[in-house]
Amino acid sequence: MQRITEQTATEPVLEEGSSLTRDAMHRLFKNRLALVSAGFLLLLILVALLTPWIAPYAYQDQNLLLGASSPSAQHWLGTDTLGRDQLTRILYGTRVSLMVGFVATAVALGIGVLWGATAGYLGGRVDNAMMRIVDVLYALPFAIFIILLTVIFGSSMLLLFLAIGAVEWLTMARIVRGQVLTIKRQEYIEAAIAMGLSRWRIIRRHVIPNAVGPIIVYTTLTIPSVILLESFLSFLGLGIQPPQSSWGSLISDGVENMENYPWMLIFPALTLSVTLFALNFLGDGLRDALDPRASKD
Amino acid sequence: MNEERSQDLLAVDNLRVCFHTRNGTTVAVDDMSFRLQPGQVLGIVGESGSGKSVACHSLLGLIPSPPGKVEAGSARLKGEDLLRMSEKQLRNVRGNRIGMIFQDPMTSLNPYMKVGAQLVEPLRRHRAASAKEARAKAIAALGEVGIKNPEQRIDDYPHQFSGGMRQRVMIAMALMTEPEILIADEPTTALDVTVQAQILQLIKKIQASHGMAVIFITHDLAVAADMADHMLVMEKGVVVEQGPPEQIFKGHQHPYTKKLIDAIPTSSKPPSGAPRKLEQLVQVNHLRTSFSVDRHTQVHAVNDITLDVRRGEILGLVGESGSGKSTLGRSIIRLIESQSGEVLIDGVDLYQLGTNKLKRARRDFQMIFQDPYASLNPRMTVFDTLAEPLLIHGIAKRDTLTEQINQLMDDVGLDRTSARKYPHEFSGGQRQRIAIARALAPRPKLIIADEPVSALDVTIQAQILKLLLKLTEKHDLTMLFISHDLSVVRYIADRVAVMQQGQLVELASTETLFQQPQHPYTQALLSAIPRVEL
Repeated sequence: MQRITEQTATEPVLEEGSSLTRDAMHRLFKNRLALVSAGFLLLLILVALLTPWIAPYAYQDQNLLLGASSPSAQHWLGTDTLGRDQLTRILYGTRVSLMVGFVATAVALGIGVLWGATAGYLGGRVDNAMMRIVDVLYALPFAIFIILLTVIFGSSMLLLFLAIGAVEWLTMARIVRGQVLTIKRQEYIEAAIAMGLSRWRIIRRHVIPNAVGPIIVYTTLTIPSVILLESFLSFLGLGIQPPQSSWGSLISDGVENMENYPWMLIFPALTLSVTLFALNFLGDGLRDALDPRASKD
Repeated sequence: MNEERSQDLLAVDNLRVCFHTRNGTTVAVDDMSFRLQPGQVLGIVGESGSGKSVACHSLLGLIPSPPGKVEAGSARLKGEDLLRMSEKQLRNVRGNRIGMIFQDPMTSLNPYMKVGAQLVEPLRRHRAASAKEARAKAIAALGEVGIKNPEQRIDDYPHQFSGGMRQRVMIAMALMTEPEILIADEPTTALDVTVQAQILQLIKKIQASHGMAVIFITHDLAVAADMADHMLVMEKGVVVEQGPPEQIFKGHQHPYTKKLIDAIPTSSKPPSGAPRKLEQLVQVNHLRTSFSVDRHTQVHAVNDITLDVRRGEILGLVGESGSGKSTLGRSIIRLIESQSGEVLIDGVDLYQLGTNKLKRARRDFQMIFQDPYASLNPRMTVFDTLAEPLLIHGIAKRDTLTEQINQLMDDVGLDRTSARKYPHEFSGGQRQRIAIARALAPRPKLIIADEPVSALDVTIQAQILKLLLKLTEKHDLTMLFISHDLSVVRYIADRVAVMQQGQLVELASTETLFQQPQHPYTQALLSAIPRVEL
C-alpha cells in the first residue's frame, strides 16, 4: 500500500518511517477496551505508589470496639472483624499484589527469555539438555516446592517473589524457544551469519527483537497469573502474613466471614477481578496490535 | 460491448471489485469486461497486484469477504449471472461447471487424504455418482493426465507424488466433473522449467480433447502467448489491452504492454568494454556436501564439484529444484559445511580457517537471497541494516557512517530520505535493492546471488538485473548467480554452469552453452524454455 508522505520541495528531509512499534501503538489506541484497561492499570499503579499518603488510616490500626462494620461515611468500604479500615487494607494490598505481579514477572521474564533464546538458537544437544531441565522443573509439584521453601527460609516477600518467578519462567522459556526456532530459520539470520556477525550479536540484534511481540503478550498474561498465585498462597497462609495485607489474604479473610460480613469479600474480590480483566484485555489488545499480519502491507 | 451473443459461454461486463481495509479502499479490479467462447483459451497476463487472480476468484465468490466486495458488473455463465447467485447456487457451479487449478500443488491437496478420495469428492458431491463409478472415473482421469499405474497410485497420499505429479492430480481433479470452464491460476509458476513444459502440453491436450474453455492466469507473457487464443493484459486492476497474441506482441500500442514485452530478457549480456581477465578468484575442488535423511539414507546435494570463478566475471549456475545449486552456493562460503573438498578464495582455503578468522574473512564474500521479504530483519530500519556490516567490519566510523550509507543507497537507486524506514514500507523490488546494498556494504570481492530476481515481477526483475550488471562493473565484483531461469542467466552471465542431481554436467561460456549445448540435460533444459517469437 502506498504511503502518503508530504513532500517538501526545498530540501530532502529524512522521512520518519512509521516503525512497527508506532504502528502497534496506533492499533492499540484504536482498541477502546485495551486503552481503558491500560488507563485503569496506570491509575492503579499510581494509587499503589501514593498509598501511604492517601490511605485514610494506617493498615494496622485496629478499632476493636467497632468490629466488623458495614460501609459508612467514615469507612467507605466497611471494616474487618478487628475494626481495620477495609479501603486502607485494599490499598496496601494493591501495593503488595502489584509488586508481586511485576517483580515475579520480571524474574520470570529475565530467566525465561535468556534460557529459551539460548536453547533455541544453539539447538542440538544444548537445547535438549536445557529443555529437559525445564521439563524436570515443570514436574515438581509447585505447592510442595513453595511450602518447603517457606519452611526452610521462613515466609518473606523476597522469597515469595523468587519462588513464583522460579516457577513462571518455565513457560516463558518454552514460548521463547519456540519463537526462536522459527526465527532461526529465517533468511535474515542467514544473512547475518554471512555478514560475519557473532552469535551473541545475532541473538541480541536479530533474534530477540523479532520474538518480542509474543513475549510482551505472554508477559501481560503472566502478571495476572502471578497475582492469582500470590492470592492462592496467601489464602493458604503461606504468603503475606498479617497485619500486612494483600488481595489474596483479604479475600481469604473475606471468605471466612462471607455469611455475616459480605463486604469483606466483595470489595477485595471485585478489585482483583477488575484488575485481572484489565490485564487480560490489555494483553489481548497488545497481541492484536503486535501481530505482524496486521502490518500495513 | 453489452449486446449478448448467443455463443458466449461466459460474458463478464464492467466487473468492479474493491477491498475495504482500515487503510482505505483499494480497487482491485475496475471495469473489466471480456467474453469467453466455448473451447477458447483466454490468457490473462499481469504482474502481482494487477487483479488478474482477484477477478477470476470473484467470479466464483472465492475472494475473502470482507474486506473484498464485488461492487458492480455481471458475469453471465450461459446467461446466468454468477455474481447474483446465492452461496448454495455457487457451490453447484464450483468444481462442477467451472473447475480450478491453483499455483502451488504442494498446498492445494489435503495431505491427510488419499488422492483417490480427493478426486472422487467433486463427482460424488455434484453428480451423486456411486463410489464404484467415481473410482473408475478417477482412475481414468489419472491415466489421462499421464500418471502411470493409476490403479495403484490412486491409493497414495499427496506426499508420495512430486510437484509436477501433484499438479497433474489437480488437473485430473478439475476434469472429473467435465467442467465447461477450467480456470488455471498460475498453474506452472511453482514448477521447474522442464516440468512446466510438460504440464502446459498436458493442459493443451486436455483442452482440445474435451473442448473445454480455459482461463489461463499467468505473469509470464511467453507462457500466455504459447497457450492462449485471446489475451488480456492487466495493470493495476484495469484491462489495458486485449486481443489475439499476435496482435498483442506485434501491434502492441499500450505502453504497459510494451514495457512488459521489453522486460523479457531475450538478448544475451552486452560484451563489456574491459578486457576479460582470466585470473581466478575462487577455485572449488572436489567439494562434497551431503545431508542425512535418516540413519541409512544420505542425499548428496553437492557431489564432487570442481569449478572456478574468474575475477570480474558473473558465473551463472543453473539447475532445477533439488539439483543442489543453492547448497553449492552456500557451501562455497561455508554457510553450509561441506564434508570434503576445498574452496580457495584468493588462494586461501576457507575450510582451513578457524571460527574467528572465518568471521573476519566473511566481509570478502556476501550473499543476496531470493526472498526480499524474508532476508531483511523486519525490526531494523534500512539505516541500521546497512550500518551493521559497516560497523562490524570497521569500514565506517561513527562520523562517516551516514555519508557511506547515503552512498550505498545512491548506488542501488534508493531514495536517501527513506533511510529511516522499515522494510515493510518498501515494495518487493525496493527491498531487494536494500538487500543488494547490504551485500555491497562491506565491499566484498565475491557475491553469491541465490535466485535474486525469482520472487520479483518481470518489469522489476529487468531493473534489478540491470542494477546488478551496473554494480558488478562499477565495483569490479565477481558474482556467482544462481537461478532456475535460463533466460535470466543468459542475460546476465559470462559463463554458465549447469547442475543436475548434485553434479556439474556442463560449464561453458554463455554463448557456447546456448548455441551448442553438449550435455543432453542442458539440451532438454534449453528446449523447455517458453519463448516469445517476435
